[in-house]
Amino acid sequence: MEAAKQNKVKFVGDGIIIFHDVAGAMKGDRTVRAAGYDTKLVAPPPELRMGCDLALEVNLVEQAGIERLFKEKDVPFVRFLPLTKNASQMCDIVKVTDFGKWVMVKAGNMKLSFEKGSGVIVNISGGGCPDIPYLNAEMVDKPLALAPHPNELGYTLCATMLQRAYEEALNIFNGGSRP
Amino acid sequence: MMLLFGTLPDKNFPMTYGQVRPEGDYLFADGQRFSRTQGTGAMISAALAITNYFKLDAPYVLVAGDIGDGKGTRDIYKYLTEHVVELAPEVLTMHYSLPIMALLKKLCETIKGCTTRPFMIADAGAMYAVKGAGLASEFDIFTPDPSEIAFLADPQATHPAYISHYLFACDADKIPGQIEDAFKNKSAAKLLLVKGKTDYVATDGHILATITEPNVPTLEPIGGTGDTITGLVSGLVYAGLEPKDAAIFACRTNRTAGMLAQPTPATKVKEIIDQFPIVAKQNYCSWSGVCYNDACK
Repeated sequence: MEAAKQNKVKFVGDGIIIFHDVAGAMKGDRTVRAAGYDTKLVAPPPELRMGCDLALEVNLVEQAGIERLFKEKDVPFVRFLPLTKNASQMCDIVKVTDFGKWVMVKAGNMKLSFEKGSGVIVNISGGGCPDIPYLNAEMVDKPLALAPHPNELGYTLCATMLQRAYEEALNIFNGGSRP
Repeated sequence: MMLLFGTLPDKNFPMTYGQVRPEGDYLFADGQRFSRTQGTGAMISAALAITNYFKLDAPYVLVAGDIGDGKGTRDIYKYLTEHVVELAPEVLTMHYSLPIMALLKKLCETIKGCTTRPFMIADAGAMYAVKGAGLASEFDIFTPDPSEIAFLADPQATHPAYISHYLFACDADKIPGQIEDAFKNKSAAKLLLVKGKTDYVATDGHILATITEPNVPTLEPIGGTGDTITGLVSGLVYAGLEPKDAAIFACRTNRTAGMLAQPTPATKVKEIIDQFPIVAKQNYCSWSGVCYNDACK
């Protein structure tokens, strides 16, 4: 049994923040979200990509406040740019597969499976960045609620997608609606 | 020799080069111990099962600890770029690593200086770097999963997390078209082994074979079951099989091992790996029509 859904809330900004690396972008995302700004993680424009890249889409009108926030919180970044048509969006499709005693949640290229009764994470699959085997070692065989969050330990886009799978799995385990 | 390249999920693991040997749940190279059950370790274990079966020299590995910050990745790229000409691997398989295109480009430039070009296989982060760098045609085999073939098919994507929605639907019936697109975009290696509910083997945009049996749906949630296919096909190419045959054997081996292990979504990949020697012994002679082991004679 498989189902899919897309995130309902769609923030559309008009600017983009470029970071030195993915870890910086993830820290930037956490920082601006905690401060209440609207934001979403996106791909940088192709001419600025180096490989496993991540940028933040924001409202440019909030640039000064975000810059001040980054200075206060020590979040290094490269620069703000107006959003171009080339900034493609991250995959936001989540699929859920029911294996009877277990559920597999797939977000983008990452899959997380847990036992329905206990909430214990039994496997993590997919991805190709080096933090995924590390997150696998840190998260598997732990209950969802007690496992470390991928966005706290991870550095890469694969970890970002695993965070989405993790959040959906936790939502399902806590009785939330399934896609 | 066969050289297997990738990162390990331990930030304190030093860069290590050496011939690998198994011992229990661990692998050893140059005195360093690492797990056989994760990512690169699972890939290496699968290749080792094949070299053992064919009584070939064990693979050499170039590994380093990396938890995503790229330090280990940079170390192994630097070492390989400096030493690949003298090491002269016959088969080079590149696996988990941070996709850093500049390092990959430099390595590929250096490899042009090898007296005999290695047979080159890429999966995981190394494959992302190859595609992003526009060097896919210099590789002999890629082993993408369904989300990764969608990534290869998308000319704009530099990571599987960014794929146009129409490609990401991941409907099984879209995979043949994505394979065709990946070749058209020059984002495919000479041969693609697409691992999934149906495994596809393709060259030049044409699907040469599909493998669907035995069908073991519970292999999908098990982390590492794609990594093992990459290791299997590496070992089989090193054993002398034609790339197409190696790809087909790898898929059949993984599926048959899965069937023997009777997995649930909670099964760990080492339980699948443990079946590879049995699968090879029971099936390789009949699958190929060539007798590889004394027990058949």
